[in-house]
Amino acid sequence: MSTPESLPEPLFPDTLARVDLGEGRATIDLDAGLYPLEAVYGAAYVFIDRCYVLLDRPEPTKLRVLLSPKRPDADVAAQLRDMVGELANELLSAAWRHQITQENRARIEAVTLSAISGAMGPPSLDDLESFDFTEEAFEDPLGIAMSWEEKYAKKKSDAGEGAGKPEEGT
Amino acid sequence: MQLLDLRTKLDHTSQAYFRFRRIGADKTLITNLEGRWLVLSDDEFGRYATGTVDDGSELHRKLSDHNFLRATYDEAKAREMIASRKRFLGYGPNLHVFVVTLRCNETCVYCHASRADMDAVHTDMSKETAEKAVDIVFQSTSPGVTIEFQGGEPLVNFEVVKHIIEYAKQKNETAKKVLEFTMVSNLAMMTEEKLSLLLDHKVQICTSIDGPKDLHDKQRKLPSLSAFDASSHWIKRVNEAYIERGLDPALYHVEALLTTTRAALPRYKEIVDTYASLGCRALFLRPIDPFGFAGKTAGKVEYPRREYHEFYRKATDYILELNSKGVQMIERYAAIFLTKILRGEDPNFLDIRSPAGAGVGMLAYGYDGSVYTCDEGRMLAASGDPSFRIGHVAESSYRDIVGHPTVRAMVIASNLDAQPDCVSCTYNPYCGIQTTHNHRTQGSVFGRMRESNICAVHKGIQDYLFTKLSDGEPHVLEAFERWTTIRSREHFLHAPEEGSSGEAP
Amino acid sequence: MREVRFHRELYRGEHVDQAIKVYDRFARIERAEEDAHWVVRLDGKSPERERKIADELANYALGLTIQQRGGI
Repeated sequence: MSTPESLPEPLFPDTLARVDLGEGRATIDLDAGLYPLEAVYGAAYVFIDRCYVLLDRPEPTKLRVLLSPKRPDADVAAQLRDMVGELANELLSAAWRHQITQENRARIEAVTLSAISGAMGPPSLDDLESFDFTEEAFEDPLGIAMSWEEKYAKKKSDAGEGAGKPEEGT
Repeated sequence: MQLLDLRTKLDHTSQAYFRFRRIGADKTLITNLEGRWLVLSDDEFGRYATGTVDDGSELHRKLSDHNFLRATYDEAKAREMIASRKRFLGYGPNLHVFVVTLRCNETCVYCHASRADMDAVHTDMSKETAEKAVDIVFQSTSPGVTIEFQGGEPLVNFEVVKHIIEYAKQKNETAKKVLEFTMVSNLAMMTEEKLSLLLDHKVQICTSIDGPKDLHDKQRKLPSLSAFDASSHWIKRVNEAYIERGLDPALYHVEALLTTTRAALPRYKEIVDTYASLGCRALFLRPIDPFGFAGKTAGKVEYPRREYHEFYRKATDYILELNSKGVQMIERYAAIFLTKILRGEDPNFLDIRSPAGAGVGMLAYGYDGSVYTCDEGRMLAASGDPSFRIGHVAESSYRDIVGHPTVRAMVIASNLDAQPDCVSCTYNPYCGIQTTHNHRTQGSVFGRMRESNICAVHKGIQDYLFTKLSDGEPHVLEAFERWTTIRSREHFLHAPEEGSSGEAP
Repeated sequence: MREVRFHRELYRGEHVDQAIKVYDRFARIERAEEDAHWVVRLDGKSPERERKIADELANYALGLTIQQRGGI
C-alpha cells in the first residue's frame, strides 16, 4: 500500500487534505459544524460525472470526502490538486447557498411559485379530469375526512376484541 | 478611506437595506432592494455608514428621496417598484425558437448551433412537427408571442418557415395574441422571392456580422462566396425594401449580431465602423459562449475576460463618441442594463433577469420536435447532453413542459436571491445568470459566480456604466437616455383587431 | 477482493442494496453490516476491474442518496 503524500504544492494542511498517488485519490476532511451535510452532498454531486466520490464520517464531528478522477491525467498530482481546490470552492458555495436558502426561503418560494404558475396558467378541464385526487393531500389527525367504515374498522384493529361497536350516544 | 476606523463606528439603525460597491478610486455605489441607486463620495458614504447624516442636508434629502433611510422608508413605493421589475413573472414563454433545420450553408469557427451539412435533410423540421410546436406556442399564458426562426440556416428549410407563418397566423385568428416573427439568418441564401414573402408577413430579419470583411470571412466560410459580401448585400437590399414600403429607416432596418472572438478584440473601431456603414443601429458586443463548436475551438477563439472588458469599454466609448457626432447607434448590453437602472423597468431580456427566462420566458423547439428550456439547452443536447430537454411536441402538454422539474430547478437556480455572491451583490436588482452556462462550465445549474465568466462580464459592464453615470458627461447621459427609450416597432406586430383581447407584455 | 465502506449516517442501506443489484452481474458482491458502516466486498476478475466496479457502485449509491434527499 502506498503511503499518503502531501500535495505537491500544498493547498491545505495535511490534516485537512492529502493525496495517495498510488491509489490516485485525494482525501479531504471537513469540520461537520462548518459544512452542513446537505452542502457536502451538493458539492460532492457536482463531481460524480468526472470523479468517483465516497463519503465517510471518521469521527462524529468530521466528514470525509474521497475523490479519484475517472480519467487520470498524466500528471495525476496536479489533477488531484485542482480537484481538491475546486471541491473546497464548491463546498463553500454550497454551504453558503444552504444558509441563504434557509434565510430567504419564503421569498424564493414565492418567486418560484409565481414564475411557474404564471407560465402554466390555470388548469383546463382536461387537466383536472386527469388529475389524481385520490392521494392524501393533507393530514387529518381528527379523522374528519375518514368514512364511517374506515373509522370504526380502525378502532376495532386498535382495541382488539369487542371494539367496533358504536359508543353510547354516537 | 480608513476602513478600520469605520468599523468601530458603524451604525446599523439609520439605514434601510442596501448593498454597496466601490466604483473608481473614490466613489461608492449603493443600491437597494427595489433597484434605486446613488453614487456617493467617500465623505458621503462615510456619513451614511456611520449614521451621521445631518437632517436637512442635501445628502439626507437624496438618501431619503431614493429610499435609503429607515426613518423615511416608503414601503409601498418599494413594493410597487419591485412589482414593476418582476412584471414578467405573471406570464409564460413569449419567445419561441424554432430550429427549422440544422443544415447550414456556412461554416463558422465558433458555431454554437452544431450545424449539419447541406445534405443532412433528416435534420429538417417537418410541417407536422412544426404545427404541433405552433399549437404549444399558442397555449402560452403570455399575451404576446414571438416565433423566432433559427438553424442551422433557416432559409434552407424555407417551405416550413412559410408554413409556420401561415399556420400561426391562422391560429392567431382565435388566439388573438400579439404575434411577431423574427429570423436569424446569414442571408446568403436569400432571394427576392423569399424576401418579398418575409416582408409581406412582417418578419424581422436579423443577421451576423463579425466585423470588417477579412475578419468576418475568416470566421464564417461559404463554399464559393464571400460570406461578408453576401450578408452586406442583403442587409442593404432589405433596408431598401423597408423604405420602398414606406417604413422609417431609423426604426426599420436589419439588425446584426456580433460574436466577439479573440481576433476581434483589437479591432473594435473597425467593427463599429463596419456596423455603421451597413446602417445597423445596434451593436450587441456579446462575448463568445462555450456551446457547440466554440467549446471545441476555445483554444483559438476564447480569451480572458479582462481582455473582453477592455474591448467592451473601448468599443462602447467609441460608439458614444459616434453618438456625439450624430451617428445613432446603441450598444445592446448597455441598453438592457440601463433600462433597468435608469427606468426601473425590465426589458425582459431573458438571460439577464431574475429568475431567468429558460423554460418560463422562452422555449426552443428542435427540428425533431424535442422541446428545450432554451436554445442553449438545445445546443447542449446536440453535443450529447440532454439535461435541458423537457418534452416533445407530440407527447407533452404545454403545462407538462413549463411545469417540468428541470424548469423549476432552473427558476430556483437563477433566482439571484438564492445565489451566493448575487444575494449581496450591488448589481442584484439589474442582473441575471444563465443556468445552462453554469451547467456547461461548472457542472451544476447553480454554478459559482466568482468563477463564472458571465458574472465577470456582467459586473464589468455594470462597473463601466455606473462609472459613466457617475462621471456625468452630458453627451454620455444624453446617449444613455436615448438608449433606454423604447420606440415600438408596430409594423412587425400581428396584433388582434380592435375590441379583442391582447396586449404586448 | 475489494472492500467499500458506506457510513450508515451518510448512505441508506436500501440505496447500497440497489447499487449492488445493478453491479452484481459484473462481480461477486456481498454486503455485511458493522456498527457504523455497510461493508460491501467485491471479488472480480482482476484488481483493476474490482476497483472500477467498486467505484462505480459507490457513485451509484451516492447518486441515489442525493436524489432522494432532493438537493440543497
